[in-house]
Amino acid sequence: MRMAIQGIGLCGGFGQGIEALRTALQAGRVEPQEVCIEHQGGPEHFPAYRAVVDQLTEFIPKRALRRIDHFSKMTLLGACLALKDADLLEADRSRTGVVIATGYGALKTTFDFLDSYLDFGYSCSSPTHFSNSVHNAAAAHVSMQFKATAPSLTVTQFEMSVASALLSAQQWLAEGRVDQVLFGAIDEYSEVLHYCRQQFFAEGEQGPVQPLDFTIQSAVVGEGASFLVLTRADQTAAYACIDKVRLGNHQVRPLELVPDERLIIGADGHKECGRWYASLLKDHPVTAYAAVYGSFPAAVGFDLAVAALMLRDRKLYLDSEGDHSSPPVDLSPAEKLSCLKFGPGGDYGLIQLST
Amino acid sequence: MSVKEKLKRVLIEDLNLEDVEPDEITDDMALFGEGLGLDSLDAVELVVIVQKHFGVEIKDMEEGRPALQTISTLAKFIEDRLA
Repeated sequence: MRMAIQGIGLCGGFGQGIEALRTALQAGRVEPQEVCIEHQGGPEHFPAYRAVVDQLTEFIPKRALRRIDHFSKMTLLGACLALKDADLLEADRSRTGVVIATGYGALKTTFDFLDSYLDFGYSCSSPTHFSNSVHNAAAAHVSMQFKATAPSLTVTQFEMSVASALLSAQQWLAEGRVDQVLFGAIDEYSEVLHYCRQQFFAEGEQGPVQPLDFTIQSAVVGEGASFLVLTRADQTAAYACIDKVRLGNHQVRPLELVPDERLIIGADGHKECGRWYASLLKDHPVTAYAAVYGSFPAAVGFDLAVAALMLRDRKLYLDSEGDHSSPPVDLSPAEKLSCLKFGPGGDYGLIQLST
Repeated sequence: MSVKEKLKRVLIEDLNLEDVEPDEITDDMALFGEGLGLDSLDAVELVVIVQKHFGVEIKDMEEGRPALQTISTLAKFIEDRLA
């Protein structure tokens, strides 16, 4: 069943809201912020695409946010902006479902809670940190804040989280359990994540991101939230429609693409994942936007928002490898776009969109 | 730094009271309801904060209720236990 995209709300390293994303796409690249971690041997500086969430206080009073962590704040901001974009901020949301896709969950809160447990024992572990570390906390915040009383779900399947969660949203809409789904893809940066990435990717994460060079490790960590308001496609889509969502493993059953299918690929500078794109995409027109929002499992949600925006604008915004002295390429009304993400083991998620 | 001053600082930091400055919390301001506006979830956090930052355990609500009224009562409770 096709799903119509009625609203988009985002926050990430490029800024807050759909206009910030459009501006970043027109530039093709966003400079990551410099993060500093103090170690015993001295400070360590490295680039990261961090999300600012200050627009959230336009929707929710600051005092009401004091027990809500950064992960949930990104989630709430994405949801607020998507509902505003769909003109549903004041609507009855009793039949609105909430589906969250995340590769990592609330990393910082989870590790803060574990640290407090290890440092001070169970009796000094923060109950607020504990409640925010529960995996469905962000989705619950959204459901409660917006009185979205239909089902609420958080899906984690690392790089495949977005495609997997979309299947749940699609099923709810097909069954008539909900009339809308507030669909979000969120991941956050944490110092522990930086440490882990240093261990896994010894070649470093200094950037700049070169997503289409599959021979080098050029990833730069990112974070953010990308939300879509989804309905059944019997309503006219404000942006575009999601035609099909496919999950599989290229080693078990090789992915066959439609010839000349135009693809937004989730290549983000990880060499291990890049080899799958290199083997499959020789004859396809591809773009990749990791230089706009960085590398994290839920970034597929941003690829999806980019595809929807480009189909509405009927413009193909060039990626960081493109020639930005030329205007964006026009897309025909019949144009289709697909978002393809590979995991390191050959798992793939393919999301096909059209107007 | 006195116990009262430290209490005000850790309350703001650990309860994320970003809209409050330490000077705005008076010693006799009610911590819950009218006053600082804390609630029952904060009471649980307060028990953890007092143990973590001062090494003083509030064992049950019988001794916690009178201690958790104001900065003054809580500081006195801590100082008595540390004496």
